[in-house]
Amino acid sequence: MISGYLDGLGMVLQFGTLLAIAGGTLLGIIMGALPGLTSAMAVALLLPVTFGMPPVMGIGMMLGALCGAGASGSIPAILLNIPGTPSSVATTFDGFPMAKKGEAGRALGLSIVASFLGGIASMVILSLLAPPIADFALRFGAAEYFSLSVFGLVIIASVAGKSLLKGLIAGLLGFFVSIIGTDPITGVDRFTFGELSLLTGVNLLPALIGLFAVSQVLKDAFEYDPHQRLKDSGHRIDVARPRFLETLKHWRALLVGILSGSIVGPVPGAGGSIASLVAYDQARRFSRHPEKFGTGHAPGIVSVESANNALLGGALIPTLALGIPGEAATAVLLGGLMIQGVTPGPMLFDDQSGIVHGIFLAYLVANIFMLLIMCLGIKLFIRVLMVPRKQLLSAILVLCFIGVYGVDGDVFNLYLMLGFGILGYFLNRYGFGTAPVILGLILGPIAESNLRRGLQAFEGDWTPFFTRPISLTFLVIAAGLLVLTLWQNYRANRVPVQASKEGANP
Amino acid sequence: MKRLLSTLTIAATMVLGAPAMAADYPTKSVSMVVPFSAGGGNDTFVRALQPLLEKQLGQDLVIRNIAGGGGAVGTSRVAASKPDGYTMLAASNAMLTLEAMGNVAFTHDDFDFIAKVIEEPYVIAVGDNKKYKDLKSLIEASKQGKRLRVGVSGVGSSAHIAAVAMQNRTGADFNIIPYPGGSETISAAMGNHVDAVVLGGSELRSALESGRLTALAMTYAERSDSLPDVPTFQEEGYDLTLTVWRGIAAPKGIPEEVEQQWVKAIKQIVADGSYEKTAENLGTQLAPLYGDELDSFIDQSADVMREAAGDLAK
Amino acid sequence: MQRDIGKPMFDLLLVIASAAAFAVSTTLPNIEIIGDLSPAFFPKLISALVFVFAVPCLIKDVREWQAADTRNERTISSRGVVQWLLIVALTLGYILIFERLGYIVSTAIFTFSCVIGLLLASGTWHELTSARRVRSLAGAAIFAIVLAVVIFYVFTELFEIPLPA
Repeated sequence: MISGYLDGLGMVLQFGTLLAIAGGTLLGIIMGALPGLTSAMAVALLLPVTFGMPPVMGIGMMLGALCGAGASGSIPAILLNIPGTPSSVATTFDGFPMAKKGEAGRALGLSIVASFLGGIASMVILSLLAPPIADFALRFGAAEYFSLSVFGLVIIASVAGKSLLKGLIAGLLGFFVSIIGTDPITGVDRFTFGELSLLTGVNLLPALIGLFAVSQVLKDAFEYDPHQRLKDSGHRIDVARPRFLETLKHWRALLVGILSGSIVGPVPGAGGSIASLVAYDQARRFSRHPEKFGTGHAPGIVSVESANNALLGGALIPTLALGIPGEAATAVLLGGLMIQGVTPGPMLFDDQSGIVHGIFLAYLVANIFMLLIMCLGIKLFIRVLMVPRKQLLSAILVLCFIGVYGVDGDVFNLYLMLGFGILGYFLNRYGFGTAPVILGLILGPIAESNLRRGLQAFEGDWTPFFTRPISLTFLVIAAGLLVLTLWQNYRANRVPVQASKEGANP
Repeated sequence: MKRLLSTLTIAATMVLGAPAMAADYPTKSVSMVVPFSAGGGNDTFVRALQPLLEKQLGQDLVIRNIAGGGGAVGTSRVAASKPDGYTMLAASNAMLTLEAMGNVAFTHDDFDFIAKVIEEPYVIAVGDNKKYKDLKSLIEASKQGKRLRVGVSGVGSSAHIAAVAMQNRTGADFNIIPYPGGSETISAAMGNHVDAVVLGGSELRSALESGRLTALAMTYAERSDSLPDVPTFQEEGYDLTLTVWRGIAAPKGIPEEVEQQWVKAIKQIVADGSYEKTAENLGTQLAPLYGDELDSFIDQSADVMREAAGDLAK
Repeated sequence: MQRDIGKPMFDLLLVIASAAAFAVSTTLPNIEIIGDLSPAFFPKLISALVFVFAVPCLIKDVREWQAADTRNERTISSRGVVQWLLIVALTLGYILIFERLGYIVSTAIFTFSCVIGLLLASGTWHELTSARRVRSLAGAAIFAIVLAVVIFYVFTELFEIPLPA
């Protein structure tokens, strides 16, 4: 194994390879920071460039893009309340409030370091435990996926705003939207109304950008006041630096993030996007100050961002160990691996050629470059806030158009984006929130199709959902969390009542 | 980034006095529409071909992923665009499947097929190769008692149609379970959540090579070099021949010279062997076909798909 | 507590929409597969749940609206509404001309209209001297053209993301 790493080190520590990884990382950072441009697109863009390269160099370049995009989605999430990637939705919860207090630099500093540490930890897990984790992921059949999605749906309670009921409605709206399109089991068209673009369902991207970016632009347009410009300049540039010690101080949140990312990340198709929400939810539950979450609380940012980059390592586990990519970005990466003649599978890990060790080290190097580039850029990113509002609003919309149009080249998605933007604006305004919609949209199809697929496979028998151990475990945890949430909610509602009673009788 | 580099290279060669392009076409960059999102078989096929084609054509090839409707949106868009040779389609049998399922307005007659480049067979594979040693034992097992759970990628997909065709030709009793994509289907088979899967050879390549899954039969007419140990359905005594193919098509009515430029470019790429290794690494094989031969191949494939889709509707 | 009629109206909309969605769900065709719930099962379940949850929301919000002090009527800033509608309308227009006029032209028009539109709608325009007005127009035009051209070249050349020409 040591010799494998030495061989790998020889492949990575070459000027060309290092340059390729740095270039890939930079591209990933740019793509991740622009709302709508995805890491899958960054990797696809690099794919033809990597053909002529030796395997570790080409793969390192693509890993750099993945790593950069994983970390930089937090930049617009913190500065503008617009997540750059689906997995940075939860970064907005605490990142934006912190930025509003004038500490955008601090939030960025925390998120960069947390991303880096999450990435490093997941690289260690990937290199040591990939085969057994991959085998564990294989035990997920329809019943397990269904129970996992039920567990995920309980998170809605955590990301809902003040009203649990309204959060649930928002989650159900997302679930309903996910039903649109061809039925995954029978092939019947549902609610497509003859629109070709809807046959494969509503894409996540226009929904995400509409609900978060466009709705935020509409809110800003509504509140736009030319005389208020001076108020925004209260941002403290001096706090903008990487925050190593502060991040380490929140080691519990960091650990929760790394574990969530490494556990949820490897489950193919479950949407790496939920790992960060799981992390946020758990960090809040196990915090001594759950009420501070959502107000610009540092552990909120740390848990989400460490999960964000930890899940990349997690997602690489089934890709490398089984040849099963979890989502689009790793699917493109897999294509790149195969063109390079690297066959993923258990044999890759036994291979003596050092390529797999080279890949691990390249991923490590990509994380280091990510940290360096982001640290150099941090003061630059903050300047976005100094752009006058009206120019900024139009520029954001222009970028949203590129993101939504660039992925699938379909104008219909632009209409969807605007529709979701208007919906998102009203959902926010009337206290429903938009994060539960995204959860419903991601988890809905997993829940529905796996329940029905399971019933089809078990020929109508419901009991396997409750007798298979992993499935049962998730269902029990979900039920436990639900009861806990309801109880906490009940108590939280009673406390102010009692307080006001006491206040009334001095 | 690469385009910038290639522009620089071209500029450099021009300065050095290299001869200008012989024919007029192409005078500007060419759009290649991939009717699926990045990361699928179609996308990888064409992205791997992109640098080679750019070299041959002397112009940029811009890959546009116009996804949606299982390929319907992008394919319809190409069918409706101007046949000037600047909008091309990364074609595959998925378009014939769409046509056969009858949800779309186009047919294969709305296109000029320029070349078939690679192909792969449909393969039926199992996770448990002790229980199901060969195709015969699999079919026997399905007839005695429990229905076989067979995973396919996507409801109404080409693989789904292929699975139905296998069921009908062999008389086996399949409980066909659609998964959203190839990778989900493969992991279901590896975890023994389904008994067998029907997928394209390239999607199964790494699973077969690692020994996690075992191929029992495939749908070529003859054995292939990429899977030399796997018997064909014909050998096993069932009349079933289907291939997954990928190639290049254009909207109907492109000028003859343009088609010739493309055929020449692809023939050159095939001849100098620069794509062969890539195709092999992807689990496919080069199987070039042009002109009239190609047209009759497409007509024939469309008929097979239509017939099989009719079985699905039953 | 602010008084905002929009809140109960939105709940009412949800109640009506969920009922309509349920009605459409019952018309979905079915294909029998052994063991499968029908394709209509989840649409019916979800729309029914939305209905069940939205009704108490509606009741609660209507009560709050009635209880709230009428003097505290949410001062809907007409300027805000105009700005909001302006951005929605311009975005819609942008989508309509996006492929027809090509990226550069449509983006330049959109950005220019956004900046100048917000200037007009916010009332800043009236406060400006005519010299400042000319400068604002020129500034917005330069911003619009530079943004459109730079973005177009960065994305199509450097990132190879095809945009309508």
